Amino acid sequence: MEPVIKEGNEVLVSSVPFFFFKPKVGDIVAFKKFDRVFIKRIRNIKDDEYFLKGDNDKDSLDSKKVGWISGINILGKVLIY
Amino acid sequence: MISFDIESQVFFDFFPQDWFNIDMKLLNFLFKILPTETAYAHCDIPCGIYDPFRAQQAAHTIIRMTELLGKVEREDETKAEHDISRMTHVKEKHSDILEEELNTLRDDYFKEEHFKEHPNLNELFIKTLKSVSKARQNISLGDAEATLNRVLEISEIFFKTKGVESVRVKTVYPTAREIVLHR
Repeated sequence: MEPVIKEGNEVLVSSVPFFFFKPKVGDIVAFKKFDRVFIKRIRNIKDDEYFLKGDNDKDSLDSKKVGWISGINILGKVLIY
Repeated sequence: MISFDIESQVFFDFFPQDWFNIDMKLLNFLFKILPTETAYAHCDIPCGIYDPFRAQQAAHTIIRMTELLGKVEREDETKAEHDISRMTHVKEKHSDILEEELNTLRDDYFKEEHFKEHPNLNELFIKTLKSVSKARQNISLGDAEATLNRVLEISEIFFKTKGVESVRVKTVYPTAREIVLHR
């Protein structure tokens, strides 16, 4: 996610925004996959499925490996980073 | 580190989402009191390790299995059926590998600029994937060879994008066909 979020950064995540608004393209979200928490940016949305990708196109593991993420796996929006 | 629980939810009920001027002391305090968890923004596997070698090897295996299937002797019918099953299984398995490798190269490695620089690349991938399907469906050396030739073309483009010179060399495999390496 560099340069927006660098290694070691602390970020604040909240699910509250998504109680009022659905996640939208461009949002940075935390989600659970492979029993780990990841942070990526939403690039595409189809129904309740989210295609997520980091900002660093060259190195980022994108959703073609992670898979489309169901909305239920999204923990919250990254608000402060 | 991420923090998320009821407290953080309550906190952000009252403040705008993109509120960057928040007092750092208050923010640090929140990070201390809220539960934290490590989050990963990068891959959990080594990134940037791409190589068309496995695709080429799979294409050679498809050719080899196609050749062997054409040479099955029918004197012992049981043995012939057994051999055909095994060879078809290997042909299918390596077709799977080849499709997976092609998808990885197309979807993960090659970027928009590569497709712009090589306008035929996308069509080449489509044609290669179609010829893999044909090589699966038939015992056709022509389809298997067409698949390999297209994989070699993709490999050459791959090395070009890496800024290295590629070279076609004859393999030591029984297929006695070419493989693309880089200098």
